[in-house]
Amino acid sequence: MAALMTLGREFFSLTGMLAGISHLGRKGSCVCRCHRKCPTIRSHLPLTSSSCFHTATVFSSTASSITVTEEPDSLLQKVSLLVKGHDRAVLDSYEFFATTAAKELGITLDKVHEPPKIMERFTLLKSVHIFKKHRVQYEMRTHYRCIELSHITGCTAQVYLEYIQRNLPEGVAMQVTKTAMEKVPEHILEPMWKDEPSAAQ
Amino acid sequence: MAAITSKAFMPFGRINVPCFVKYNCLNRATYATSLPENVSTRNKGPPGRGVKGARREAGQPRAEKMEFDQDWTAVYPAATPFRPSSVPLPVRMGYPVKRGVPPEKKGNLELIKIPNFLHLTPVAIRKQCEALKPFCTEWPSVLDSEAKCDQHFPIKVESTDYMSAGQSVRNPEARIVHLKVKVSSLNLDDHARKKMLKLARERYCKDTDVLTIKTDSCPLRQQNSDYAMYLLTVLYHESWKTEAWEAEKTVADMEEYSWEDSPSQKNILDTLVRMKAEGEGEGLHEELLGRREVQEYKDSVTRLKIEGESESTMLQYSQAVKKVLNL
Repeated sequence: MAALMTLGREFFSLTGMLAGISHLGRKGSCVCRCHRKCPTIRSHLPLTSSSCFHTATVFSSTASSITVTEEPDSLLQKVSLLVKGHDRAVLDSYEFFATTAAKELGITLDKVHEPPKIMERFTLLKSVHIFKKHRVQYEMRTHYRCIELSHITGCTAQVYLEYIQRNLPEGVAMQVTKTAMEKVPEHILEPMWKDEPSAAQ
Repeated sequence: MAAITSKAFMPFGRINVPCFVKYNCLNRATYATSLPENVSTRNKGPPGRGVKGARREAGQPRAEKMEFDQDWTAVYPAATPFRPSSVPLPVRMGYPVKRGVPPEKKGNLELIKIPNFLHLTPVAIRKQCEALKPFCTEWPSVLDSEAKCDQHFPIKVESTDYMSAGQSVRNPEARIVHLKVKVSSLNLDDHARKKMLKLARERYCKDTDVLTIKTDSCPLRQQNSDYAMYLLTVLYHESWKTEAWEAEKTVADMEEYSWEDSPSQKNILDTLVRMKAEGEGEGLHEELLGRREVQEYKDSVTRLKIEGESESTMLQYSQAVKKVLNL
């Protein structure tokens, strides 16, 4: 259906967009793999509404060029974000940030819930040598937060996820599960051996 | 700070720079041997501020000069540690001393350690999202319900991305791909459907009618998703084929229970024939099968075999038997 073929947008990296992001060492950009390559052109960014930012890095503000390609956009039925951290307050703030950003970008939020925390405890000997009766116990608490989004296009998901991931605070981990929808490919529509008479069971 | 090099003060010549510049402006080559005159000889302590008394006063903290309607995004444009002089909030954090309050923000390490979200105020988020909006695309309005999505796009490909701080960016679990498809949405006839379910074995869930193919044998995600699609294709085409040995399918291989040609049918027909008077002939079987009680018996036996033994099934079976045998 023609109505279903949305145009893909060539996505430029957000390196310069988010003003003054100084996290050059930010390693965790395991962003979703797109069907097409995403060229990282830094200078072709619109600086219209972000002119009120204090830009720490200086970019040459060329004319904004958002190219729209003919390639069809991928459709994601569900995107599930699971954020893990040791501090519940940090996850609270991050959830507020993620939900606000989703609302601003017009993404439908399905469910935002908090899976129960997991505490990993272990007991060690207190002393280096002997004294078996005296031990010390440690525990590690992992808090979780799950944000589920539904009905997003591939481009929007890429934009949103890159924005969210670049602002992930230190000490917090994230897992993103994406469910992409695809049509039945042509080679599965009809069986190959249609001409041969198949014996009835 | 001692870190300021002498080069910065070259153009100013011999200025009597206050004490916090350690090296002399007069000497171009700053050798440690010759002590300059205008630095006090009392400087025996650890290197740092120079003469006491001529110290520069720390200015008023910036937080006190801030207005209510200032642009906060200019103060905290990016993720930075907490600066007590830049944040105009009377924040206190930490464990309180005995009969006291938590320590104030000035010189508080706890406030610096915890990640802060001062750069992500709602105003900042709104501004940044405004700038990001041109790159987003809209969801097609035709697909507003799940049913429509399933109808037009029955194949679902699931994959997971992982992001954490560590020595490596990669996570080997990110290559795993799950391909889920509803078997009813594929073009299969009866024999093909049964054969496909037999080939898929535990990958098929009967309750939801979903076939799940999980691939993790390839090192890259794209390879795994291609392999999953290939497996689905092969499964589909193989299930349409009919091999010669499939004719040897026995009753034990059947997926569902069918009452026709089963021992139960033979038994009930033989019983009914023997109950009737002799001399009726063999055409009685079809006549008996057409009777309502026999049909009810057939339904009750089929239900018993499929659902197992329970109160309602046993009751139905007993009633059907009573009716058939005229008890």
